[in-house]
Amino acid sequence: MDLVDLIAEKRFLGQEFLTWLWWKSEERGGVVALPGEGDIVIVFEKHMLLEYGEGDTNEKLICRGLQTELQEARTGLTMGKKLEQARIQLTYNDYEWNFTMAAALMEFRNVKLPKTAGTENSNDPEEREGMLLERIHLFEELIRIFLELYRVFIKVRVTDAWRDELLKIREWVALAKRA
Amino acid sequence: MGFVKGTAAFVRFSVEGDLPENVWDFIAERITQFAFRDIDDTYEEESLGWVSVTNMFDTDFNYASYAAGNYVTLSMRLDERKVSSAIVKKFVAKEEERIKKEKEIPKISRSMRVEIKERIESELMRKALPMPSVFDLCWNLENSTLLFFSTNQKAQALLEDLFKDTFGLNIMQQIPYVCGEHLLDEEDRDKLATITPDIFV
Repeated sequence: MDLVDLIAEKRFLGQEFLTWLWWKSEERGGVVALPGEGDIVIVFEKHMLLEYGEGDTNEKLICRGLQTELQEARTGLTMGKKLEQARIQLTYNDYEWNFTMAAALMEFRNVKLPKTAGTENSNDPEEREGMLLERIHLFEELIRIFLELYRVFIKVRVTDAWRDELLKIREWVALAKRA
Repeated sequence: MGFVKGTAAFVRFSVEGDLPENVWDFIAERITQFAFRDIDDTYEEESLGWVSVTNMFDTDFNYASYAAGNYVTLSMRLDERKVSSAIVKKFVAKEEERIKKEKEIPKISRSMRVEIKERIESELMRKALPMPSVFDLCWNLENSTLLFFSTNQKAQALLEDLFKDTFGLNIMQQIPYVCGEHLLDEEDRDKLATITPDIFV
């Protein structure tokens, strides 16, 4: 299958992952335990885009707001929508990244790297290379953690353990319905 | 954008295939060959090539400025001459009016209209200033992955072609499915191919 077909046919995979991650982060109050890494703090905030269906039947729901409980987005879940975009705050090892994940294509958007002491405006080639390497390290660290989370999901998703996980997610969605 | 400073947007690619043994010599030679060429003083419609990530006018890459540790950092620069359709429409109408008056004819024929449009488009294109766009990339030579700092699909397609032309290597976008294939073992990979969407309610 070529990439264009894969993108269309497997679009759901990234969206299921992001929805799963939202549930996973709320399961322990924003903390997700990552094997071999320890606890990672993941907070879903401010901005969400949910999607349902494909082509002509495609529906989108955008939710924004500071410190909201994302009630509209939760209601969206109960209507069968899945998360396509979310603004995420990820904290690990004293570093904090903020980024928007566009799930279907796994695009990292509006990524804010952790603040460091490094200077951004140097003309010295060595300093410039050091600054670049520091930024590269921060980008790669974010990707590494994110892919580790994805690995946890994808490993469960292809096995029988997914049935149990799915039941728990459905319970969580059902809570939103009653709220 | 946002690789060198500020907030960033990026997608991941894997780089498929092997580089020759003298990696850095090969890279230096190929980047120079496909460096950006300025078209400010020509009439060419577009130009595409590599520039330095910190200076879009730097195509010399002194001291291998694209190298940072085990990474290749480059910007893909595209300069394009463009004329908006509203401007073309206006000048075509103006020219049609002028010809009607000059030849004292009530109507312009279809073939003449096509000829006028082509001529005006090409004249306007020559007058248009090339519009630059710059897209950064960071290529990790150790694990053959590449970050491309744009979610623009046209730019991504241009990158795939320019990268292939420059280094003879294909790049593949790491969408969740492809990414999953990399993370799973063989048995699970077969299962991944068969899964279908689940309902979460």
